[in-house]
Amino acid sequence: MNIFVLAEHRNKQLRDTTWEALSAGKKIAADLGSDVTCLVLADAVDEMADKLAKECPKVIAVEDARFATFNSEAFMKALVPILKDRGPFILLMGNSNAIIDLAPGLSVVLDAALATDCFGLEVQDGKPLAVRQVYSYKVNTTVSFKDSERIVITLRAGSFPYALADSESGAVEKIASPLGDEPLKKRFLNYLEAEKGDVDIASADIIVSLGRGIGDEPDMEVFESLADTMGGVLACSRPIVDKSILPKYHQVGTSGIEVKPKVYLALGISGAFQHVGGIKGSPLIVAINKDARAPIFRVAQYGIVGDIYEVVPALEEKIKALKS
Amino acid sequence: MTLLEPADLPLAGIPAPTVAAVILIGGVSFFCYVMYRRIDLLRKLLPDFRFDDIGTRVRMLVIYGFGQLRQPRYLGAGILHILLFAGFILLSLRSLTLIGRGFSTGFHLPGLTGTPGFVYESLKDYTVLIVLAVCIICMIRRAVFKPARYDHPGAAGHENEAYVILGLVSALMITDMLYDGSAYVVHPEASAAYLPAAALASAFMSGANPALLERLHIGGYWLHILVFFGLLNYLPISKHFHVITALPNVFFAKLHKGAIKPVRYGVDDWMSMEECGVGRFEAFTWKNVLDFYSCADCGRCTDNCPANAAGRKLSPKMISIKARDYAYEHYPIFGPAASPGDTKFVGDVITEEEIWSCTTCGACEQECPIFIEYIDKIVDMRRYLLDRGSLPQSLQKPMQQVKKKGNAYGGNKAKRAAWAKDLEEIEVRELKKGDSADYLFFVDSCGSFDPRIQEITKAFARILSKASCDFGILGQDETESGNEIRRLGEEGLFEQVAQKNIDAFQERQFREIVTFDPHAFNVIKNDYPVKFPVLHASQLMAQLLKSGRLQLSGDYLQGRVVTYHDPCYLGRHNDMYEDPRFVLGRVPGMRLREMTRSFSRSFCCSGGGLLLWYESEEEKERMGEKRVRMAQEVQAEVIVTACPFCLINLEDAVKTTGNEGKIEVIDLVELVDRSLT
Amino acid sequence: MDIIVCMKWTPDTSEADLAIAGGGKDIKKDDLSYDMNDWDRFAIEEAVLIKEKTGGKVTVVTVAPEDAEEMLRESLARGADEAFHIWDEAMEASDGFATARLLAQFIKDRPHDLVLTGTLADDNCSGQTGGMLAAMLGIPVATLASGIEVENGKVKLRRELEGGLYEAIEMDVPCVISVATGLNEPRFVSIRAVRKVASLEIPVLELGDVGLDASQVGSDGSRVETVSMSLPPEGEGAEIIKGKAEEAAARLAEILKEKGGIG
Repeated sequence: MNIFVLAEHRNKQLRDTTWEALSAGKKIAADLGSDVTCLVLADAVDEMADKLAKECPKVIAVEDARFATFNSEAFMKALVPILKDRGPFILLMGNSNAIIDLAPGLSVVLDAALATDCFGLEVQDGKPLAVRQVYSYKVNTTVSFKDSERIVITLRAGSFPYALADSESGAVEKIASPLGDEPLKKRFLNYLEAEKGDVDIASADIIVSLGRGIGDEPDMEVFESLADTMGGVLACSRPIVDKSILPKYHQVGTSGIEVKPKVYLALGISGAFQHVGGIKGSPLIVAINKDARAPIFRVAQYGIVGDIYEVVPALEEKIKALKS
Repeated sequence: MTLLEPADLPLAGIPAPTVAAVILIGGVSFFCYVMYRRIDLLRKLLPDFRFDDIGTRVRMLVIYGFGQLRQPRYLGAGILHILLFAGFILLSLRSLTLIGRGFSTGFHLPGLTGTPGFVYESLKDYTVLIVLAVCIICMIRRAVFKPARYDHPGAAGHENEAYVILGLVSALMITDMLYDGSAYVVHPEASAAYLPAAALASAFMSGANPALLERLHIGGYWLHILVFFGLLNYLPISKHFHVITALPNVFFAKLHKGAIKPVRYGVDDWMSMEECGVGRFEAFTWKNVLDFYSCADCGRCTDNCPANAAGRKLSPKMISIKARDYAYEHYPIFGPAASPGDTKFVGDVITEEEIWSCTTCGACEQECPIFIEYIDKIVDMRRYLLDRGSLPQSLQKPMQQVKKKGNAYGGNKAKRAAWAKDLEEIEVRELKKGDSADYLFFVDSCGSFDPRIQEITKAFARILSKASCDFGILGQDETESGNEIRRLGEEGLFEQVAQKNIDAFQERQFREIVTFDPHAFNVIKNDYPVKFPVLHASQLMAQLLKSGRLQLSGDYLQGRVVTYHDPCYLGRHNDMYEDPRFVLGRVPGMRLREMTRSFSRSFCCSGGGLLLWYESEEEKERMGEKRVRMAQEVQAEVIVTACPFCLINLEDAVKTTGNEGKIEVIDLVELVDRSLT
Repeated sequence: MDIIVCMKWTPDTSEADLAIAGGGKDIKKDDLSYDMNDWDRFAIEEAVLIKEKTGGKVTVVTVAPEDAEEMLRESLARGADEAFHIWDEAMEASDGFATARLLAQFIKDRPHDLVLTGTLADDNCSGQTGGMLAAMLGIPVATLASGIEVENGKVKLRRELEGGLYEAIEMDVPCVISVATGLNEPRFVSIRAVRKVASLEIPVLELGDVGLDASQVGSDGSRVETVSMSLPPEGEGAEIIKGKAEEAAARLAEILKEKGGIG
């Protein structure tokens, strides 16, 4: 059994999803007693391959200008011949927006079973199991694969923490691009920044949301810093927009943007009806508010009753400690 | 010396009676033709039977038409208008007399000779002066003080209309004074105390030579006649059509407040109709367009519109004006009707924003001196938009939930009565088919699923239990009442939910339905096709207090200043102002201070039912926030309301205006519950 | 332009209290109401908008039990020209792969320039049907489309990447596009609008009609099996974390870490 990890990159940089997938790959490789191989397909592959080789015993590198961006058609065409000839495999990738384009089609062409957006991996009786969420992300489910020889799994961001070890000196096998000359039916044109604003809270997985309880003249650095540490974005309820603290495209609620993050951290949000209507899809709502009777606590799973400016800096400290 | 009279002096060689006849026939014919065109349009529009209950209609006509009872709601402008209106009636006789004098010198209307004639003459003279003064005051008001309600945002060409009409009326008065004053110089018939207008005018002419006097006399006369017919013909082509249509409009007023018109009068199977609601102008009823004809641009509706005050793009007055402009443009006096071209009536003339901005609070209709209707038109335009799939996104989900689950909250039907489990000491009876109780407590979706409103539900159950009332609820068999569903234009869904509730009601025996939500109360009382006796909680509590079954004590208020917010669907739509205040009066320690906007002038909190989900992009300050500021003006520490949606909106506004901890919002039911002995 | 929209009939679980049933392998579904998958609502709207602009035909199709006719009818009311209902008892418990195979089988012999789906379904949260379908049909795919323009036999679209970044891409037709929510503003469907299409016929296609056998669908034709399901522990309302700011923050940080709240 081979464990393959597909490296994801954007703008010539490896993305964090790569390391998380590698961390998952190492874990399951240990359980199954197999090897981990990183696959990297890029336009300029050497630097990335070197980086990967410091973390992974084996790297397969393919260079082709058509891998400059994550075009699922090009990746699929190249990965199929590479993987087909190498026996049983589990292919791990981050469940990123780029890979959502690739994984399902790839699994079909490789005749592999697919489990997406998994946040846990287990091995039972020598067979891999994946843990993921279903039903509006409210139910955990463990799935198995009928044919455990060909498996594609994508992984939820943040579920497999990584730490760069710089402990390996893996072999880099560079192979010729299997892509032929026929033109691609799908073509990358360019990147676009979101028109609406600098963040798109609708697709964010982690949201730190601010309400009236942060005060009339809030210390925004405290919150920006927490959001950064959590890897999330800032959002807010209507009063914050009304007071021009944040622009309108940050507003969560039925009159703003309805969001479905995996974690919604509500700071100083009382939980007015219109606001709560916009976050109901979130599987984990955590509220911090000084008012123990704030309705937000009725919809949150966890809450802290206290002063935001005391709790938030402490929380950031603790998260930093847990991350390192 | 004596002056020659108009009838005796040929004009350019033509005998005066001939000239008078030409003017009379010309003026009246043209007027009749224009009126024919205007009425012809009404005849082509959709039906609406407005000849029922003639007695009430005549009473309305006397009280609000001739009696002008709604005018003094704006005291200054109201008095001016009453004076003008009375003046018009009195002076119309004078004008007829003067027309007659073009044919025969010394003409008098039958009965207006001798002493009655002199009394009328004197009265007329005072009236002329008063009307002239009123015209001058009105012009000064408009020119100097410029009340905002007279503006015409979004429709050009109306700026000078009022001046034209005031100028014409003034000219009528002045020409009359010239005619009479010149005669007074030559022969003062009575003292200035009896004929002040003639005497005043004569003072300006006293030095004139006989020839000039003669010219002023004759000139004043013919000018008066010309201005009179000019004015008459100007009316139906301007906003001053109301001079002619206002009285019929009051006579044909909507008599059933609180109800929404059917999709089309006389058509039961509206679902199979080609079009639904009003998208093109021609889909209005004749009464709708009579409303447009009748609008005098006074702007009282818009001045009281909470949506307008909050900055939303809605002005009831401009709906009438834009629609009238459309009617005059597309149904011109001469020639055939113009094709609408690319202009969509709903969409371009009246925009979607305007249409969705309305909370149906009814403030505009309450204020209109001549009973112009807005809600039905808005609802008809919504019906059209919704039929084409256009409904604000924020409203789609709750609407969908009602369709799927029978409540806008998306709650599980089976949990409709879950709140009752929290009441340890009381058992709330779920009435099954065939069961009976004195009172059927209609909880509605808000009371069943909104955690805040559940508190009112529980409080009301405790009150009923305390007063030993035999009551029960529908539980799972209850469905959203549908007040806003109908008002948002989803008639099909309204019919479904109404029928489900009607079935549930009919399968059980009860004396009265009781509900604490004015929206549910209104829709069951006024919109459901089958009528059931229904009480609002405040009515029942008033009854229970009066009969002594309920007694209040305690000191929940602790001397705080209380103000009462009249919910639109209790007050304006159902005239219930006194019962809630009676109940309040029984609460120990009550110090009630009314807000400036109270009773029928109450200011909407931004709407109930599904409107709780709707938020306008354009709002500058939310209605609820404005309302809280009004409560602050009277230093209220407690705002009591009798509607769960007002409670939610005002509680939210108390927080957003920074009054948390300073002002408490409480429902009347909760207040009574906390004051129970 | 011939557009085929694939849609899913999903239980509304976002606001419901869920319980485990089916021997620990599924949730209790008796009390749940089913509806068109939220993402698919944007797909059908986009299909109708494209049709209104370029002309053509919109066909909707679903693999779902009888009740789903309601969804197909609603789609007709939204402006689809025809609807097909694929169902057979044997299709019960099909996974994403088996479902995609059924849909591909249906689509392959029909004219199709554009196949639209929602990117995700709220029940499985897998996001795989569109991509699988494309591979089975041998045409390109793009997911999470938040803007679509059709011109000269090509499709230009904008898709969301993380962190406020989008990419513009171009695809030849035929192709599969899985749309993101918020792509458009789906129209409202009134009771009357559904009534108007009440008499249109919706053909039901069984296993044989689609040209597959029982081994290719249902759990036999699936590649993934559910081992177990469980509800993450949660109380009524928030569990209030007690203690001083420091202690509470420490506990919360652990919870966040556990739940993937530290990206």
